[in-house]
Amino acid sequence: MTITTESTSANESADGKEPAISVRNLWKIFGPTPNGVVGTPFAELSRTDLLKETGCVAAVRDVSFDVADGEVFVVMGLSGSGKSTLVRCLTRLIEPTSGQVLIEGEDVLAASASRLRQLRRTKFSMVFQHFGLLPHRSIIDNIAYSLEVNGMKKDKRHARANEVIELVGLTGYANHYPEQLSGGMQQRVGLARALAVNPEVMFLDEPFSALDPLIRRDMQNEIVRLHHDLNTTMVFITHDLAEAMRVGDRIAIMRDGAMVQIGTPTELVLNPADDYVADFTNDIPKSHVLCVQDIARPIGDRSASTTQPIESDVIVRSVMHRIMSDPDPIKVIKNGQVVGVVGREELTTVFADDVKKELTA
Amino acid sequence: MRRNLTKRMAALPLLAVAALVLAGCGDSVNDAASETATTDETTASETATEEAAETIACGDVVIAMHGWVGYTASAQVVSEVAKNALGCNVEQTQLEEAGVTYDAMEAGSIDVIVEDWGGGRWQEWVDRGAIQEVGPNGNIGLIGMYVPQWMADENPDILDGTKLNDYADLFKTPETGDKGAWYEGPPGYTTIGEKIIEAYGLNYKVVSTGSEAALIELFTQATENKTAALGYFYEPQNFLAQVPLARVNFPASDWTAPEDASGLTDYPESPLIKLATAELMASGSPFATLLTNFSWTNADQNAVAADIEGGMTPEEAAQKWIDANTETVNGWLAGTGASIS
Amino acid sequence: MKVWVDTHVPEFFRRKWVLVVGLLIVWFVIGRIFRGVHTLDLPNAQDTPTTAFLGDMAANIRAARAENPIFVYVFNPFRQGIESFIEVIRLTISEPASGGVIPLIGWFGVVALIGFIVFATSNWRTSLLSMVLILGCGILGMWTYSMDTLALTLGAVILSLAIALPIGIWAGLNDKVMAAVRPILDLAQITPTLVYLAPLALVFLIGVAAATIATMIYSIPIGIRITAHAIRSLHNGPIEAAESMGSTRWQKLTKVQLPMAKRTIILGVNQTTLAALSFVVIAALIGAPGLGEPIVRALSIRSIGDGVTAGIAVVLLAVILDRATTAAVVKSNQIPLTGQPLMIRRIGLIAAGIATIVAIMVSRQQLWAAVFPDALNFNDAIGGGADSFTEWFTTTFYFFTTTFNETFTIYILNPIEYLLADSPWYLTVIMISVLAAIIGGRTVAILSAVLLLLIVWIGLWNDTMITLTQVLMATAVVMLIGVVLGVAAGRSEKVERALKPFLDAGQTLPAFVYLVPVLALFGPTRFAAIVCGVFYAAPVVVRIVADGVRGVPKEMVEAAIASGSSTTQVVTKVQLPASKKSLLLGANQGLIFVLAVVVIGGLVGAGGLGYLVLQGASKPELQGKGLAAGLAIVLLGIVMDRIAHSSAKRS
Repeated sequence: MTITTESTSANESADGKEPAISVRNLWKIFGPTPNGVVGTPFAELSRTDLLKETGCVAAVRDVSFDVADGEVFVVMGLSGSGKSTLVRCLTRLIEPTSGQVLIEGEDVLAASASRLRQLRRTKFSMVFQHFGLLPHRSIIDNIAYSLEVNGMKKDKRHARANEVIELVGLTGYANHYPEQLSGGMQQRVGLARALAVNPEVMFLDEPFSALDPLIRRDMQNEIVRLHHDLNTTMVFITHDLAEAMRVGDRIAIMRDGAMVQIGTPTELVLNPADDYVADFTNDIPKSHVLCVQDIARPIGDRSASTTQPIESDVIVRSVMHRIMSDPDPIKVIKNGQVVGVVGREELTTVFADDVKKELTA
Repeated sequence: MRRNLTKRMAALPLLAVAALVLAGCGDSVNDAASETATTDETTASETATEEAAETIACGDVVIAMHGWVGYTASAQVVSEVAKNALGCNVEQTQLEEAGVTYDAMEAGSIDVIVEDWGGGRWQEWVDRGAIQEVGPNGNIGLIGMYVPQWMADENPDILDGTKLNDYADLFKTPETGDKGAWYEGPPGYTTIGEKIIEAYGLNYKVVSTGSEAALIELFTQATENKTAALGYFYEPQNFLAQVPLARVNFPASDWTAPEDASGLTDYPESPLIKLATAELMASGSPFATLLTNFSWTNADQNAVAADIEGGMTPEEAAQKWIDANTETVNGWLAGTGASIS
Repeated sequence: MKVWVDTHVPEFFRRKWVLVVGLLIVWFVIGRIFRGVHTLDLPNAQDTPTTAFLGDMAANIRAARAENPIFVYVFNPFRQGIESFIEVIRLTISEPASGGVIPLIGWFGVVALIGFIVFATSNWRTSLLSMVLILGCGILGMWTYSMDTLALTLGAVILSLAIALPIGIWAGLNDKVMAAVRPILDLAQITPTLVYLAPLALVFLIGVAAATIATMIYSIPIGIRITAHAIRSLHNGPIEAAESMGSTRWQKLTKVQLPMAKRTIILGVNQTTLAALSFVVIAALIGAPGLGEPIVRALSIRSIGDGVTAGIAVVLLAVILDRATTAAVVKSNQIPLTGQPLMIRRIGLIAAGIATIVAIMVSRQQLWAAVFPDALNFNDAIGGGADSFTEWFTTTFYFFTTTFNETFTIYILNPIEYLLADSPWYLTVIMISVLAAIIGGRTVAILSAVLLLLIVWIGLWNDTMITLTQVLMATAVVMLIGVVLGVAAGRSEKVERALKPFLDAGQTLPAFVYLVPVLALFGPTRFAAIVCGVFYAAPVVVRIVADGVRGVPKEMVEAAIASGSSTTQVVTKVQLPASKKSLLLGANQGLIFVLAVVVIGGLVGAGGLGYLVLQGASKPELQGKGLAAGLAIVLLGIVMDRIAHSSAKRS
């Protein structure tokens, strides 16, 4: 069932380092007999049949993936697809039924209760859809909470909290209470709280779904900025493809508990694994996602334009007009080397629809 | 912010402790009460404390209070004498009679009953060593079924209990349907209405009034509005002096104890009994002596009860009677070394 | 013109009513033919095998009290421990130590101390109000009684919370614990206060300790219920977040769950306190000192004045306790003070604290501050006023009240009592069970039949039916009042505001207090008990119905008005049907509240089970019957509650 696109597996990614997170054959079964499904013929049943036969629901179904160090890994799916359960299984907020989760090489599922607490206090942190702030604590005490439960002295934890407050742009709000802040500000507190422990991995469960669209955009940029500055590994859950594209290095698409496809935004758009994924990606104009290198082709017998070459990682959309208005294909360069050309031909074959839209606009 | 709350909370016990420490240093009214000379008449108990010092300490006494005025009269007179002559610290506690009060005595929350009507229903508590009979208090109790005087005047026959059936129609109420209403005493009182009805085949139905207030209300309205009423009542009870009632008599009866009262056909006259905890009686407290000696007549009790109902506080009414009967009271105090003048 | 055809009512519902009415007609006809046959009527003083058995058991328990190790080493020390604890509080504010004149703190100090405590937990306005009200208790001439009641209430509340909070928290966190305590909580909710007294007195005798323990048993379930609810109803978000940050279970509880649940828990403290207060008054029947005493005495020797003044004092105490705890709820909801306001408040607290200490010292040294001065005691005037008002009222309205009482008794109460109590018992059992089946379904019907047969077996069938008649009548009246006033209050804020003081007073006034004036008006009758039940239950039902009506979505009402409905049509076709759930809940609560009071009606001539309970308390030889009557009341309560509950669930 699982379709893992090997070419983009983190194992083989760039530097060949050990992945930050490695998940193998993870299952979570809810119902009367959670242990009577995995490894039996029931495991092959569809969602409805499984429910009929056993009364159980497989919220996470045989999921495997790797996340590289410093990567933003997005899990996407409709509500009920199991993405929230999956992220909770990774930190054992929900106890998985079976499988393996390694974070920084450590087997999380084997960790004792106190070791797990230690991991949560120091290595991972989480941001929640509805913020989950403590209403009876001031902003600074909310942010310092995990430091506090880890036994850090008040002066030290407040000093650290103040650092993060500044980092997320909440300066001046330290002594306010959550109810005094807007939704966007509250989620900044949520972010600050997650950053306070200087985590190695952050889990974000639909962090911006409860926010207004404009503020959501701000917060997405904030995440991109923070990631750029801190380079923290992130697992980011969302149901919004545009958001996934904006923040994600790679995207995993879930349906009925299983991973349907994992890939870079480009891969998903160019090669949707099935109709389900295609349905998601159809609404995204390909030109907004793809870079010129994705569509560049060898120059062949054509003569390249003499105009300035285009860098390979430029989004197609931004140079679309230039390409269309030039009768000859333009050179694409990477690290100063010409890797191919893009011209009207390339555009029209890949972006027939987009071009039409773009030109009529 | 929670810190502030905690601080505030912490302030409470601190304050309490501080207050008590400071208070402990100061001369309290209580200290003054035992130190000041008798001439300084600030409180009632000063004189008491003063005199008590000369005799054996009396200490705390809790007297049960039952819900009829006659009882209040007896209990208040005993209380006043105990307080003023013996320096007892008297407390009064309102309770239903009999079982409830016996249990309270067993628990040690009540020490004394000055007037009990039940023929030996306390025996079990006596056997357990909790309660002791202290003898009759001099009052003679007579329970009975009564009608308003005007009914007796109009139908002299009605006072013959065996002829009550002739008048059953008069006493019909919506409560009792086609039978006459027989208003029975409150739940704690000794009642044998059902047995009398059965013995004479009376066409009456028992209505449980639940409280003496209900009976008083019943007879008051029956007299004022000239309506019919047949109800439980008893003497000594000063109410009989205010609202004239006539007793319905049944053929002679043999009263012993409620449990062998199967042949009972009317309430007998019975001497009312004083009860106390065995502990009190064994303590050698002068109050035990006072209680043993205490005895007065129905007329005495009615006099005090009349004053109470006339608007005096029980204390005033009791003091008035004590002032007028110093000799009797000094008789009660014989053996305690105390007396009043 | 076919206005009366309500097309919204589903078909089965109409048929259900046809069934019920048909059944009642059949019952009435058969009951008429066999009237007076097999009614199991029993004289008050007569035992049945079951009651005699219970009587023997009670006698054995009494006999064991002096020597049995359980009593000697468990119950008696426990009783004495509680007694000493309460004694400490009483010696502080209400009872002079031996040989003394005043308790540790005189009245002036008590007023100051109450003011300070309320100021510390809420705000200065409530603090001022509390001081005025507590002074009111003295002005009513009820100072010492009020202090006794306050001492007993506080003692009982402290002990109750010490038990209720941990259990409530545990039940809030753990489903198994919740499942284990829930049936006990449900049963406690149904059991009328009067029923607790006798069995407790058997074990803990009579006096302060027994009264405190009885009060605790009454108020602990309320505390547990609300505390567990407070924990259970928390949003999961912050809790999950705390967990994700590596909190231990203890950290999660103390740093997240408890602080977040604080508001509701304080509400639980509020409810526990008010329940304890109302119970302490009734506990005068088993030796609780305090305001219950003059009320009980008023019932015995008909001094309405004392009963009324004591009743008012109870209300004043209730208002103080309620406002102080409610203000604490509001406060816990606010954002804590910082900066200058905080400084001002701290200075205020310190000043108030010093003033309080001074007041306490003065109250121990100056006679005027130690003993409540006679000059401020207006008991005679107030009590006398109440006396003459009642006198005037009863004389003036005697004809009216008597006629009303008699008409109601002859045309409504008696026919229904004939139906329930004068039909052969098996007919009544069958009919009630069939009704239960129609209303609530098969399970409830079987449960009802079994419990009713159990009552038959106990031998108190006839008395139970007499009590049931009164409960049903009172509930019917309560529902009538509840719907009329509830709809009015639900539709108009003006009406609601006008009703609020009456509802508040009605809910805080212990049922005990109305017995005296009602007795004066209606004499020793079943009707008097019904009136008391109505007084007691109506405020609650009005509130529930008003809540329901207010909860009907505005769009629904607007749509009805937009389609041309008259006001009556809006009420009958939209607001009432849409708030049906509240109506049924109201009926359920109404039944339980009414039952609690109708039983006390035994004190004003209502007879039935309540009288037997009271009789059993006083007459040792009939104690078994009293205990059996208590049991029958509980069984009857369960039957009614389950039927009402299942019908609410079904709708």
